[in-house]
This record gives sequence, C-alpha cells and structure tokens, in this order.
Amino acid sequence: MLTYAIRRVLAFVPTIFITLTLIFVVTRLVPGSPVWALIGNQSVDAARMEEITRQLGLDRPILEQYLEWLPRVVTGDFGQSIFFGRPVAEIILERMPITFALTLLAMIVTIAVGIPLGILAAIRRGGFLDYIGNIFSSLGMALPSFWLGFMLILIFAVELQWLPASGYRPLEFGFWPWLSRMILPVIALSLAQIGLIARMTRSTMIEVLGMDYVTMARAKGLREHVVILKHALKNAMIQIITVIGLTFALGLGGSVIIENVFALPGLGQLITTAAIRRDYPTLEGGIFYLTLVALVTNLIVDLAYAYFNPRVRYGK
Amino acid sequence: MIISMPFLSIWFRRTNAMLITGSFMLLLLLAGSIIAPLLFALDPLAIDATRKLEAPSATYLLGTDEFGRDTFARIVYGAHVSLRVAFAATALTAVVGIILGTVSGQSRLADAIIGRISDSLLVFPGFVLAIMILAAIGPAEINVVLAVFLLYVPRVIRTVRASVIEFITADFVQAARSVGIGNFRLLAVHVLPNATGPVMVQLSFGFAWAILVEAGLSFLGLGLPPPSPSWGNMISDAREFIRTAPWLMFAPGAMISLAVLSLNLIGDGLRDMLDPRLQNKINL
Repeated sequence: MLTYAIRRVLAFVPTIFITLTLIFVVTRLVPGSPVWALIGNQSVDAARMEEITRQLGLDRPILEQYLEWLPRVVTGDFGQSIFFGRPVAEIILERMPITFALTLLAMIVTIAVGIPLGILAAIRRGGFLDYIGNIFSSLGMALPSFWLGFMLILIFAVELQWLPASGYRPLEFGFWPWLSRMILPVIALSLAQIGLIARMTRSTMIEVLGMDYVTMARAKGLREHVVILKHALKNAMIQIITVIGLTFALGLGGSVIIENVFALPGLGQLITTAAIRRDYPTLEGGIFYLTLVALVTNLIVDLAYAYFNPRVRYGK
Repeated sequence: MIISMPFLSIWFRRTNAMLITGSFMLLLLLAGSIIAPLLFALDPLAIDATRKLEAPSATYLLGTDEFGRDTFARIVYGAHVSLRVAFAATALTAVVGIILGTVSGQSRLADAIIGRISDSLLVFPGFVLAIMILAAIGPAEINVVLAVFLLYVPRVIRTVRASVIEFITADFVQAARSVGIGNFRLLAVHVLPNATGPVMVQLSFGFAWAILVEAGLSFLGLGLPPPSPSWGNMISDAREFIRTAPWLMFAPGAMISLAVLSLNLIGDGLRDMLDPRLQNKINL
C-alpha cells in the first residue's frame, strides 16, 4: 500500500506542473498585448499602460516570463489582482470556504439521496421505483443547473417566500441565515449528480447481485436485507467510492456557474468575474486553486480505492 | 463497408424504446425549428419599444422581452444558433478525435505525446478550461466551438484509441494485412468501422454536453455575444426580470432540457444496443 501511495503522490508532481504550464499558455494566447484587453475602453495614458505592462512582466520574452512565473506560483503567489488591487492568494483564501461548503453540502445530499435511490432501483429492477428513478435521473442530467437554480428561486423565494433568493451570510451571523442561503444552491448543484450517482449505484449493484457469492448467500438462506447490505453493497461500495470522489470534482466545476446564479462570493464567482474583466493574475490563481482541490480529491479517491481493492495495488 | 458496421445490423434486430423516443424528440425539435420560420414571419432581432415585457398572448405566443423582441422567434432562431454551435463542436471533435485516436493507437511515440496532452486537458474541473480559453481569446461563436471541442476531444481520442489497439491485432485484420492491403485501407475499412458504435455513443453524449456548455458559457457572458438569440443568452437576459416577467425564463430552459434529454436518450439507447453485457443484464 505504501509503495502504491508513494508512486501515486510522486505522479502528482508532474500533473501540477502540466496544469500550471497549461494555465500559463492559455492565458497568454491573447492576440496582441493583454494590457489592451485589460483596460478595455477606458482611456489610459501611455505611462499607466507601460506601468501595467511592466507590473505584469509582459515586456520580457515569454520564456523568461514563464521561468519567473512558475517558481513564484508554485509557492502560491499569483501576484496582485489587477481589479481588487490585493494579493490574489488572499482573495482566494477568503472565498475558498464558500465554494468548499457549497460543494461539500451538495456531495452529502447527493450521496444521501443518490445511493439509496440506486440500490432501491437495482433491487426493484423493472419496477415502479426503477422507472421513476430513471425518469428522475434522466431529467436531472438534462436540466441546465443554472436554469434549475432560477426555477428554484422563482418557486421558493419569489412565490412561496420560504427562503432568500440569493446572497451570502457568513456563519458569524448565525447558522440559519447561513444555511437558508445555501439550501437552494445545494439543491440546484446536486440534482444532476444525484441522477449520475443513482445510475452508477444501480448498475454496479445489478452487476454485484448477479455474482455467484450473492446467489450462494441466498442459497444459505440468509435474509434478503442481509444479502443486500452485507454481501452485495459492501462489494459495490468499492465502485461507488470512486463515483463519490467524481461527484466532488463535478460539484467544484458546477459551483462556478451556481455561485453566479445565487450571487455567492466563492471561488467560481471570482473566476468568472476575473475572466470577464480579464484580471489575469486572479484568473490564473482561481483556476489553479480550484483545479488543485479537484486533483487532491482524485488522489484521495485513488488511494481509498487502492486501500479497499488490493488488486489495484498489485496490478499494473 | 456498410455491412461491417456492427451497429446497423443490431439496429434492425432490436427495437429500443430510449433510442426511438430520443430520435423522435430530436427530429421534432429540428423540424419545428426549420418549419416555424417558413410558416410565420419571425424576426428574432426586431425591436418594438411599444411592446416591452408583454405576457404571452395570441400575437406573441411566448411574450416579449425587455426590447419588445418576440420570445417565440428568439426561441426558434435560438435552436439554430445553439444546435449549430453544438453540432460544429461535435463534428470537429469527431474528425480530430478519430484521426488523433487512430494515430495514438498505432505509434507509441504519438501515443505518449497525445495521451499526455489530452490527460492534462481533462485535469480541469467542469468547464473551467473553457472559461479560461474564452477569457483569453474573447467571446465569439467560433471560440465557443473551439473551447467545447478542446474539452471533449480527449474522450473521443481515448475511445478510438482503445478500439484501434483492440482490433489492430485481431486475426481478420492480420489476414487482410497478409493479403497485402495498405495501411490506410486497412485502418479505414477493417479497423475503424469497429469503433463506429462506441464513438457514436460518445458523440451523442458529447453533443448534449456541448449544448449545456454553450448555454452555460453564454449565461456567464463568455459565450455568444448579444444580440445573438442563443438559449443561454436568453436565460441570462431573463434573470433581471425574474420577478416581473418570469415567462422569459421558462422557454429557453425547457428547450435546452428537451434537446439535451433527447440526445442523452439516443446515447443511452445506442449504448444498450451495442453493449451485449448490458443487454444480458436487462434480459435477466
């Protein structure tokens, strides 16, 4: 296990470098000087223009820029935000908890609803519940999450007035003010994932339920719930764990758009505003941190998978 | 060559509810968006300042937006825009994915390079990569196509590569080679048709996904520039009026869902048909 873990963690290092390099290359694809894109339509004198160019280091050759940029960002220093005028790392640290809370809550809801739904659908295959579950998950995956978000606002905030439409309150203002503003975003974010995880659980369970050892357990005369929970689900869990990690990564990606719907000042909202304002240091930093969290999640999932399934460790 | 496409023969053997429902829905959508402009005088860009934010009525089936533009016309032309972007991205993905997948299935060096690049494209969660690309090259239809293509092409490359590796060593391919058939013909006639099924499944999900990504990007203001009546743009425009004119929000979202659902059903249907293991499971 240890050898596998070490190998896996070592493989993580080049991935980080490739990610950073890709971020560097893409954000510098801009035709012409990015400074022009940056200042947009504002009238700026030549001195200010030169100052920004120098500040961003754009007056130097690209390779030199890269060699200066890479060691700096590896330590987490993405420089000053052009729009906010503060260190990028500081802004990201402020916003990270919001994105993290949103994604984590969505993951909990997804697991709590998706896995039981998938198990029930697998047990009652072809039955009414399977049918309803299938329709639910097909619809969940087809609805654009941001549109679903607006529909939820329309129903629960505008019509019923049960929950606030959007915005964010830090936990210091109390638990309910915080949670009440998280409920709708979490539902909007988790619906598509519930469909996905329910489907995965269903097909994995069906596969496991067809195994000889399950037939054997039944033949021994064990009760059905013992067969399903102890024999089938335990083995199916190995596959399902992978999906849980996937859900978290998906949630991180989805949070980008959901935070914009509900005006949650998280990392996703930061990335989109930085993209629209062409605040490159912030954009680079935001994307890197979001990707890093997704990568670390994947790493943890891989390690957990290897822990539960020894075949992965020894096989190639 | 047609006979060697495995999915066609199964097509006729098995009726498939999901595939039929999905295809029917998609055809309906396509036909509607083509026929509607022929029957009615529709202009998605015509501004009428006297009829701002009108509720749905007999003249304006889906109401009007903040510029007095006909929402129904914008929905119909939105289908043209959104489906065109998604189709272009999917077609580009198919062509490049098949070529690069074949190349990496054959050469170790190319495989190492292409594999590394496509893996690193998959590292970014969601469509964060697309956001980054569009921030750099600016919002425009062609740029959205390019971003969606870059996001999805690694998956197609993988699928094609797996099929090429699987079949290049197969006996019937070796037999063809021994008869003296050239490499290109060998790949095009004997190897690649075996990848048709899996690639078709990938592409129908990819098409659905492209519609969602385009809508999402347009919603964020990074997709198609206004006044283009893309469905994502329409949702983005409608958010300001969610309390006063909620009907503006309904139609574009419903259309996106319908298009995505129909393509997902086609993808699921094709996969069930092509994966014999899954079929057995269903017949159990």
